[in-house]
Amino acid sequence: MSEKETKVPEGPSVQREAVTENELRALGVDLARDFPGSTADDFKSYPVLSEGGWFKVVKHQKTLQTVSREPWALLGPVSLTSEGLELD
Amino acid sequence: MTTTHPEWDSTSLKDLTEEEFAHRYSTDRFTASVLGSRMRYVVQHMCTGLLANAFSMILRDWYDFAATISGPPEQNYPMSAVSNSLTLFLGTMDDGLRNTVEEYGPENLRKGDVLICNDPYRAGNHVNDVLFIRPIFAGDRLVSFVTLRAHQLDMGGVVPAGFSGTKRNVYENGLVLGPMLLYSDDQPVASTFNLIFDNARFCALLLPDIKTIYQNLVLGENLVNGSIDRYGVDAYLGATRYSCDVSAEAMRDGLRSLPDGVYEAEEGIDCDGIDDDIEYRLKVKITKVGSKAEVDFSGTSPEARTSINASVLDTKTAVGVAMKFLIDPETPFNSGSYRDIDIILPAGTFISATPPDGAVFIYWESSDPVVLAIFRALESALGERAVGGDYGSLSIHNANGVAADGTPWVTTAQCGGEHGPWGATKDADADNYSVIYSANNLDPATEAIESDFPVVILRKGYVPDTCGAGTNRGGAGVMKDSLWLTDTEHWSSPLHTKRGSGVGVYGGSTGRAGGVWVFDPQHFNVTKKKDLLPTTSEIYAGSTPVAGVLDPEKKTLDPENGVYYYFAATQTWRTKPNAVFRYITNGGGGWGDPVDRDPERVKRDVRDEYITIDGAYRDYGVVVVGDPAHDPEGLRVDMDATTARRTEMARQNGR
Repeated sequence: MSEKETKVPEGPSVQREAVTENELRALGVDLARDFPGSTADDFKSYPVLSEGGWFKVVKHQKTLQTVSREPWALLGPVSLTSEGLELD
Repeated sequence: MTTTHPEWDSTSLKDLTEEEFAHRYSTDRFTASVLGSRMRYVVQHMCTGLLANAFSMILRDWYDFAATISGPPEQNYPMSAVSNSLTLFLGTMDDGLRNTVEEYGPENLRKGDVLICNDPYRAGNHVNDVLFIRPIFAGDRLVSFVTLRAHQLDMGGVVPAGFSGTKRNVYENGLVLGPMLLYSDDQPVASTFNLIFDNARFCALLLPDIKTIYQNLVLGENLVNGSIDRYGVDAYLGATRYSCDVSAEAMRDGLRSLPDGVYEAEEGIDCDGIDDDIEYRLKVKITKVGSKAEVDFSGTSPEARTSINASVLDTKTAVGVAMKFLIDPETPFNSGSYRDIDIILPAGTFISATPPDGAVFIYWESSDPVVLAIFRALESALGERAVGGDYGSLSIHNANGVAADGTPWVTTAQCGGEHGPWGATKDADADNYSVIYSANNLDPATEAIESDFPVVILRKGYVPDTCGAGTNRGGAGVMKDSLWLTDTEHWSSPLHTKRGSGVGVYGGSTGRAGGVWVFDPQHFNVTKKKDLLPTTSEIYAGSTPVAGVLDPEKKTLDPENGVYYYFAATQTWRTKPNAVFRYITNGGGGWGDPVDRDPERVKRDVRDEYITIDGAYRDYGVVVVGDPAHDPEGLRVDMDATTARRTEMARQNGR
């Protein structure tokens, strides 16, 4: 196809946040026992959409094992135009 | 440490003892199965009631609706049963129900209420697809919901009936309804009806349809209450959980069947409704470990400037459709299908648009590529189980005008490229005339269309050599011609014509991309000539291209060397009486190497005009001799020449 040059802009990405060893410990994770050979660097925290809606998870990236899964905002990352409207 | 699922998830449901089963589901295995089947019967019964009584053609002739049953808030609204109808709705109704009820407040619901919402960002789909929710109480306890999502013929906005990829924001798109009551104590809420009917067109059709929807919600409520009365609330709620667990386990088994790995692919659509300077590209990265998967869409193009976008819930639906298709096609779809799949989706892409500028209307044009991208990504993991791509775009056509007596009319998704081919599988050639993988609808009857509107459906046929070649052949592109008898405005939305969408798999070839044209009666007047618009290549030179990669002189399809014609170059196509619109859909993808196809099957395809004699030689290495037009049964295969040709092709391909 001879086509004029079209732009394909790069879109946004979900940032996977680092998790500290203290945070893992607070979640009940014993690295030596539960994930031998792994460090806190092997875990990330980020939002996911799944059964039951949006959750903020902490996962071991190599095995996808979830160590924390907490309900997140009802609409996830989407903000309504009416969000923040105060009527009182 | 908390894990994704309770520890008992690792035990197969079939391996549970009767005591374990009863402890978990508050009923026995047999009763749970009966109640699960009963839930699927209920939603189907609700749909049958609406289909049989609807007035609007989009409900009556397209089956543009779906029904579900969901559990109560304390179970987090598990959607345990869905109807066998519009798939595009099924994944959104699950979260749409939760989002609507949670915002309204479940504590504010009463028996006899019908709660509605049509906001794409809260509940998915587009503003015409109103979600109707009926809470079900056992005594004072909220125990379940039945829902119907049904396309309303119009919901305001700048385009009659709404179907267009050219609307620039939510204000042009149509009326947005946050959670509000449509019925209270089984009485209509006048303010809500007034809000809709002061903003929507074609209300004479909407009103009886909404009343029918209400009656079928009541039907669903009564049927569910019958189950609860007979088996008890605890058994009913246990069966709700059990139904979802069955689907979760089936998807988990499907995921286990794939090799662990990271699988990536891209798909996309041609442009939006502003100009053709920007192409929208979808990126998917699937990470699969054991029985768990992540589907990450990071890097997908930003949201489009017009209403071609999809919402996050439309994308969730598409992920579910793709995974069910590929690895878990046997068990019913419900909330549980997503239990071991996490979707990672940033806001503000064209498959996760946000208000007010990321308008969502023809969302399937962006969400069906999600299905195709997952098909592409998992091709290597699936091996011979891979499935070819479909025609990838409804190329939806809407038209409107005014009858001689002043009555306005509108067609909805009847005269474009709404139906077309699927991709082939290891088992067989593909179907040629269905709807995109993520839909599932009826094909409106020609007689009904011609009875209701000033249009004649001239042709529905297959186009030779558009199928993706393969050991099993992809479906053929569909040609549809419509003759418009009066002055008419048209809205045409073909968004996947730059490249073929019907990707070939397991050595098969990709189906050919299609196009759209308008033929002015001065060029060829069907009514005066009393003949169909020809299909020969010469006829296209006098056409006005709407979309496709075409030879700029001949205006014929030329995917390799042609020029792209942009669908929204003219936002509203206005035609005089006797103009003809022609759509050719994309072809479906082939499965397996074409040279492995039995020559007799190729000969049969030539006889049936799925492929030409030249195509048989070029794509399959089969030399067919004879005249398919005048002596189709006299065709024969020249086996010596075929062997020589296939040997030559094998040498060229390094086999």
